[in-house]
Amino acid sequence: MRAERRTKKSGSGVEFADHRDYQPGDDFRYLDWNVYQRFDRLLLRLYEEEEDLAIYFIVDCSASMGFGDAKKLRYAKRVAAALAYVGLANLDRVSIVSTSDQVEGRMPATRGKARIFKVFRFLTALAPVGQTDLEDALKTFVAQNKRKGLVVLASDLYDPHGFERGINVLRYNKFDPFVVHIVDEAEAKPKLAGDVLLYDCETGDEREVTVTAKVLERFEVVYRKYLDDIDRFCTSKQVPYIRADVSQPFDELILRVFRRGGFLR
Amino acid sequence: MILAGLPFATIAAIFGAAAAFATALYILKLRRRTVAVPFSKLWEKILRDKEATSLFSRLKRLLSLLVQLALLALLAFALGDPRAAATLIKGRNLVVIVDASASMQATDVAPAKNRLEAAKDEVKKIIRGLGGSDRMLIAQMDAAVTPLGPTSSDTSELERALDTIKATDARADFPRALRFATDSLRGVENAEIVIVSDGRLGEAVDSAGKVKLGDDVKLSYLPIGRGVRNVGITAFSVRRYPLDKSRYEVMLEVTNTGPEVEDVELSLFADPQKGGPDDKGVLVDLTKLRLKPGERLPRFYPNLSGASRALQASIAPLEGSQDTLPADDKAYALLPERRRAKVLVVTPGNTYLEAALLLDEYLDVQLVGPREYVEKIAPSQQKNDVVIFDGVTPADPPRAHAIYLDPRGPGSPVAVEAEIKTPGFDKIERKHPIVRWTALDDVNISKGHRLKPQPGDKVVGSSDGGGPILVTGQRGTNKFVALGFDPRDSDLPLRVAWPLLLLNSINFFTDEDSQYISSFRTGDVWRVPVVTQSGQAKLKMPTSAEAMIPVHEGRAVYLGQHAGFYELAGGDAPAEGQSDAATKTAFAANLLDADESAVEPAKELVVDGKKAGTLSGFQIGVRREIWIYLLLAAVILTAIEWITYHRRITV
Repeated sequence: MRAERRTKKSGSGVEFADHRDYQPGDDFRYLDWNVYQRFDRLLLRLYEEEEDLAIYFIVDCSASMGFGDAKKLRYAKRVAAALAYVGLANLDRVSIVSTSDQVEGRMPATRGKARIFKVFRFLTALAPVGQTDLEDALKTFVAQNKRKGLVVLASDLYDPHGFERGINVLRYNKFDPFVVHIVDEAEAKPKLAGDVLLYDCETGDEREVTVTAKVLERFEVVYRKYLDDIDRFCTSKQVPYIRADVSQPFDELILRVFRRGGFLR
Repeated sequence: MILAGLPFATIAAIFGAAAAFATALYILKLRRRTVAVPFSKLWEKILRDKEATSLFSRLKRLLSLLVQLALLALLAFALGDPRAAATLIKGRNLVVIVDASASMQATDVAPAKNRLEAAKDEVKKIIRGLGGSDRMLIAQMDAAVTPLGPTSSDTSELERALDTIKATDARADFPRALRFATDSLRGVENAEIVIVSDGRLGEAVDSAGKVKLGDDVKLSYLPIGRGVRNVGITAFSVRRYPLDKSRYEVMLEVTNTGPEVEDVELSLFADPQKGGPDDKGVLVDLTKLRLKPGERLPRFYPNLSGASRALQASIAPLEGSQDTLPADDKAYALLPERRRAKVLVVTPGNTYLEAALLLDEYLDVQLVGPREYVEKIAPSQQKNDVVIFDGVTPADPPRAHAIYLDPRGPGSPVAVEAEIKTPGFDKIERKHPIVRWTALDDVNISKGHRLKPQPGDKVVGSSDGGGPILVTGQRGTNKFVALGFDPRDSDLPLRVAWPLLLLNSINFFTDEDSQYISSFRTGDVWRVPVVTQSGQAKLKMPTSAEAMIPVHEGRAVYLGQHAGFYELAGGDAPAEGQSDAATKTAFAANLLDADESAVEPAKELVVDGKKAGTLSGFQIGVRREIWIYLLLAAVILTAIEWITYHRRITV
């Protein structure tokens, strides 16, 4: 049984893809005799091979995803669940991995709509834990998954070592990364005032800050710039990028944004 | 600089303790609120900027501490009440005399209600401009002078005293006020008298001579008022006709004190306030008058009737005219009470006497024979106002006023001596009320008897050759008139003087004198007859307020300063059989003062040959009490610190 999605691999499908020169040992049933008559060259007809696609959902389960009342993690889970169902319905091979600074959990690849409940069970069990280190976690992921495919990364990308490195690990290992950036707009305007001791919910780093209106304004600028940097990086690297705001209705994101982004057909 | 409050050592100790406490609070590190953030790396750039300015931040914190210390220093210094040495010694001693006379009710100082309110506003400015060492006494000047509190530098106390000033309907007694002020300022330095008035005060001269201020007393004058146009009632008098007491005549005078021609409407109302304070009464007369500048226009209203007791005249300006002073627009008067006098005539029969008594319808005459009087009337102790003995003299004097015609015997109040032939009224005490309006000089008398008055008796008429023939006096509480001849032995009954003599005598007894004062003048000391044993009488004012006033020699004594109708009642309860009305007296009071009606304010004031200066040295907000400014600076600093703290400028 073959899935609907086409791969770049040419093979034994029915749709013509390209020609190539005949090599001894090739199956001469695919020789294009018409071309031989016209150009006196032996060319082999190539067809697109239809095969099932491997889709990996990498859900960031670091502590920052659970910041506040874990809205970001909840949103990431729902995005992963929805897209996993789409994948399962298309007979793709769906696999889910939860990460922090390492691979925390893994749901083996599975196919068919009936497996959606397995997906739900896996996602439900996810809880925020640990620091974010996408590079380390995704290195482990690519080592564990030899079959290339689409990797949907659902994360807030709060990686102290740099978000680029994690995405690059996927790119360099021939995976097709698809970044779903989970953001909470409330984080742009934290409700802080006066003399406070800030600590990072992942690393525990502490800093004394006197928060004024001006400081808050500057923080928002820095925050927007960080988001723009991620967007710019993904665009430059031709990595599909979707920014998913947790305040945005979930169905709207799925039906409008993902369709526009080309994930859904 | 002198510290009038805490000494320097105490201030330094307080400041030291407070500064140490404030510094300790600054040194103690604040425990910061711990807050989690999802990604502290985002804060790093901001924190790097903060670190770059941390030195400046520390400096700002130091500045904040210095501001706090400066605040403490200011407050501690204020506790010392620092004053300039010069101001501590040279405080002024002021007596502010506020004119509350009738002319200060003039309404020419809008938006103030009247001149008095404008004067109060001006005095308030003076109070607020007082120096820290200045002391002030406020006195109200009207017909008297009333200090309204002690000499004080407490502005709120002075303002409270000022608020108690009320306008009166009397003229100001300027000499008395000046004497009070100079007495109050005797022996003090930097003495100053401030006159706040419209300047219509007259010369500062009284019975003791010119008022001397002294060289060391400064006199300042603060003129109040602008208006000049006014019309006022300057005279108002009513009287009953002696022989027809139901009718009366009114004399009043209206004066235009301004420089313009004024048209006014003059109304005369009978029995106002009978049905309540707002009852205007019955309109008796309404006249429109045109008065030239400065004109005094007298008006007579003869033969009026319709008023039982009270009359009120009022004027109102017509269109185009102005009337600045409302206090002189009304005048009040009371007619003498028409009480029916009970007259007992003891006579064997005298047509002339009976006929004369018929002329007065307010006499209740009872004729009795001498025998009936002795047997019935005298023992019954019948109460009469007057008893006339015609040729009869009872052994016991009656308990009433009495007229003796040709008295005889030991019962006579005066001794009757030898008979005199053809006496005449050669000497007449013409001012005595019993002979008013009579011509007795040429009365022909055939015979009579010489009367011998006792000490205290008054000889009203006497004959050159024979001696007293008409004597009045008092025995106990009762008055008497004794005529030393039988009228029928003269041509007196044929003359008009005969009934007048009788009726004058009866009026003299019953105090129903045609010289009755229809109204008192405000600002005078009134002496009103009243029947009381307690030495006090209750006076009901025109405002319905009541006051107990002293009674001296049968007269209530009161310095009245408000126009209107008054009621005076004896302080004790009425005796048995005596009505409440018998102990009550009503009277009216009026301003009626052309000088007060002339409202044009005087531009300058001259006392003792010296012109009063203008007021100076009172500027609001320039009090010489430094602690106020120190406190103000502390408040401003606190405000700056508060604002900069909340704007995160100094922290």
